[in-house]
Order: sequence, then structure tokens, then C-alpha cells
Amino acid sequence: MNDRAVQDLLIRALADAPYRESPEWRSRALADPERVERFARFLARHFYYERIVHFFKYSRALGRITGRQPAAVLSGPAFDALLPTAVLGSRATAQAVAGLVAACVREGESPTQVPYLNDLLRYEAAMMVVEAGARVWTDAGKGDGGRGTGGATPEIVEGTVFLDLAYDLPAVLPQLLKPWTAVPKAVERPTRLLVARSQHGRVAVARSDDTVAAVVQLADGKRTLEQLAAGAGLAVPQLEETLKGLVDLGAVRFWTGS
Amino acid sequence: MPDLQVGAFYNPHLGAELVATSGIDHLAMADPPAAADPHWPAIRERYTLLLHDYLGQLSEPLDERSIRRARDLAALYRSPWVAEHFQCLHTEDGTYNLNYVFPPLYTEEFLGRFTTNAMALQARLDQPLVMENIPGFFDVRASRMPEPVWLQRFFEATGVGFLLDLPHVWLEAHYRGIKAERWLAQFPLEHVIELHVAGVEEDRDLQGPWIAPTEPSDEMLAFMADAVARCPRARAVTFDAFSPSLSMDVLRRSVDRIRAAL
Repeated sequence: MNDRAVQDLLIRALADAPYRESPEWRSRALADPERVERFARFLARHFYYERIVHFFKYSRALGRITGRQPAAVLSGPAFDALLPTAVLGSRATAQAVAGLVAACVREGESPTQVPYLNDLLRYEAAMMVVEAGARVWTDAGKGDGGRGTGGATPEIVEGTVFLDLAYDLPAVLPQLLKPWTAVPKAVERPTRLLVARSQHGRVAVARSDDTVAAVVQLADGKRTLEQLAAGAGLAVPQLEETLKGLVDLGAVRFWTGS
Repeated sequence: MPDLQVGAFYNPHLGAELVATSGIDHLAMADPPAAADPHWPAIRERYTLLLHDYLGQLSEPLDERSIRRARDLAALYRSPWVAEHFQCLHTEDGTYNLNYVFPPLYTEEFLGRFTTNAMALQARLDQPLVMENIPGFFDVRASRMPEPVWLQRFFEATGVGFLLDLPHVWLEAHYRGIKAERWLAQFPLEHVIELHVAGVEEDRDLQGPWIAPTEPSDEMLAFMADAVARCPRARAVTFDAFSPSLSMDVLRRSVDRIRAAL
């Protein structure tokens, strides 16, 4: 095993609490386990602090109405209870932490003043969960995610989600981050959003409709463009245009079967 | 040290106050400016800006996309030098990522990797590269040489500058149970271009001190003054605090106290 591989074991041990408890890790005796555990817990709190500050910034802006600051969950017993099973960057841990934040903010909810708070918390949690997962840090030059040729078939990217909201949230979000005295209002209107992540970890959101939803849901890596177009009720040129937008968003990639 | 510049990090939530204040020579940029940041044009006009973003970990070669991004940011900031860190915090396959400081193993293999990749990055930049030391909270048995020796060999092999993070040195000394001045004396201070200074606070997970967005203590400032006197090429000292909880009062007082201590 080369030194880079040993470094990967250390990184995994610090990120993955169940692995730290495994005989595989413990038998290596690479470092003082008590020190490793303390540093791992410190890293976990830091890791999710950064994500809560970023993804729950709208709830933070509403803090003077709800009386709740999202990052406060990190110093509570519920977060401590998650630490023995936490795997930094995993979807499961992101889901669990986002759930704690949403519950904390809801406890202080003032429904008459922020009627769209539930939608907002679902939106913020979805962003945080979609961001989780392995990512590409260094391009190898393979161009994954391109349009595809020679029989390549489109496939939904794991983690991509649709969000059906009761309020038109995208219209109100920028206002929440500006100075305000009265809580910015959102129009009550069914709104479907598509949340996806690029291979490099950039999370993007786009308004969606039934056609886009059909394309994404049918993109299983097996159907050809013609089959997909027929299923979604689109002409192939229209489908190609839709797919281009979905690839740019990170929701769909082309599967070459390699 | 008459030409030493004293500055801080750009914290966007303090943008309006940073535009209005005086007595801060430079701002280090940890993140690119947000498109909606109303203070960015004035900040860019007003300050010397130092590129201190995450560019990539130099245990692996930076790809073309990362190099282009580094070049673009350096040009945008008109940065006199470009900073990166001696860190290795995500696995090669991208599955695990610590998202915070973690040093590489101090071995020949990692020395070769960082030397090669730093020189490749330096060759593509129009500005000098400086590299920041990263603290270890625990020793790893697979490391083969002391950190200061590894750093000395890196700087001699590459000609890259040293961004000396003093609280990192102070924390390592604390957790090793040795005097900070004694630990610092082993570092290759002749390569230092910039120094970082920060406050520390007790952390409940670590059960000991760690860097926090607070003022540096008198002890830390005295440590800084001693260090600066031993860094003949030092050009700047930066108050290293970048956090939404940082107040302008703390930033302002810290810069003033750093200046007074020099």
C-alpha cells in the first residue's frame, strides 16, 4: 500500500464513524484512537456548520421571526446522538442533519407570519441532501456528461429530485436576503422544482413542468432518444433541447454502457 | 520591518464597513465575490487583494479547469501572490471529503507529489505561489519525517514562498506539549512571505484550543512579533478570521493590535 492509499484510510476514518469502530481500521493502529475520535467529531461539526450556513441561509434570514437559528442544532444533544453513525458527505447523514434543522426551525414557527416556511424548509433540506455524495475533484478529460454519440442513452443522475411546493418560492428567495421590515410574501401557486448536482458538486435548481418530469423519469440509461421522445410526447429535436438543459443542470448524463 | 502590510480576510457580511474603514492594507479572499455582493466593486478598487481560495489539493496535479480558475481569480484580484495549503483532505476517488484542514503524511512520496504539483502550478501562474502550513491534531505513525524538515525540503526544491500560519504552529506545539517558540524555531522561516495571526478558543470536541473568529491574545501577538523578527522576507501579516459570526469590532481591533505589536 502506497502512502497516498494510507492517507485515504486516514481521511475515511475521520469522515466515517462506523469505519472508525471497525476492526479493519483499529488493527492498523495508525494514530491514537482517542485523538482521532475527538478530531473527527470536531470535523463533523465544522462540516455541517458550513452546509447549514450555506443551504439554510433563508431560514437564518427569517430568524428574527421564527426565533430560531438553524446552526444552533449543532450544539444540541440530537446532533451529538448522530455522531456515532455519521458519514461526512453521505446522503443519509445530510438527510438526518437537515431533518434536525427543519425540526428546530419549525418549533419556533410563526405560521401566520411565514406561511411558506414549510416549503422553505423542504427546499433548503433538498438542496443540502442533493449536494451530498461522492464528487469528481479532478477532471480526467473524459468529458462525462456530454451530449453523447454513437447510441449513448440518457440517464437520470443519482440524487436528482423533484420538489412540489405550494408557494412560488423562487420568486421570494432573493428578497429574504435583502434588508426587510415586513416578511416578504410568496404567491400561493403550485410550483415544481428540479434540484440536481453537477459531478463537481455544484447544486442547481430549475423550474420544472410535466414534460421535463416525464423526460427525467423515463431517462433510465436504457431507452434510446426515440423511445424517450415517444414516451414524453416530444419530437426528437425538442427532446434534445430539453436534454441539453438537463445535462447542463446535472440532472441527466449520457450512459455509454462502458 | 517598515514595509510590512497588515490586513484581514474579506468577510462579505462586513462589506459596507470594510469599504468605509481605513487602516487595513489588504484583504485575503477565501471565496470568490458573490454576483450580488454590492460592495465588491468598491472593495476591489480600494484594497490589495490576496488570492486565498481553495484551488485544489496538491497531492494530485491540478486539472486544467482548476488552473484556469486560479489564473482567472488571480487576475481578477490583481493578487501579488497566490496561496494554497499543505493539505490532503479528500480521497482520490472523491468518496470522502473532510472539508477542513488536514495535512498530508510527511513522507518522501508526498514530498515528491507536492513538489512536482506545486512546480507545475507555479509554472502556469503569473504570480508567485505561497504555501500554508496545516496543523496536525495527532501524530500519524506512517509519517516518516518531522513536518519542519519536510517543509524545508519542499521550499528548497521548489523555490515557492511560505505562508506561515502562526496559530497552526502554536496549536501543534500546544498539543505536542512543547513551547511554541521552540517548535517555530525548527520551521524554514527564511522562506516566509506572509504570516497569518488569529485568536483561539476552547473547543469542546477537541477538549482544547482551536482557531476561532476572535481577537488574538496578547500571548499570540507576542509570538507573532517574535516570529516576524525572524522572517526577513515577510511582506504581510493577515488577521485570519473568515466567518459569518465575525464582527467588525473584532476585525478592526485585531488589525490595530497586530499593527501595534509589530
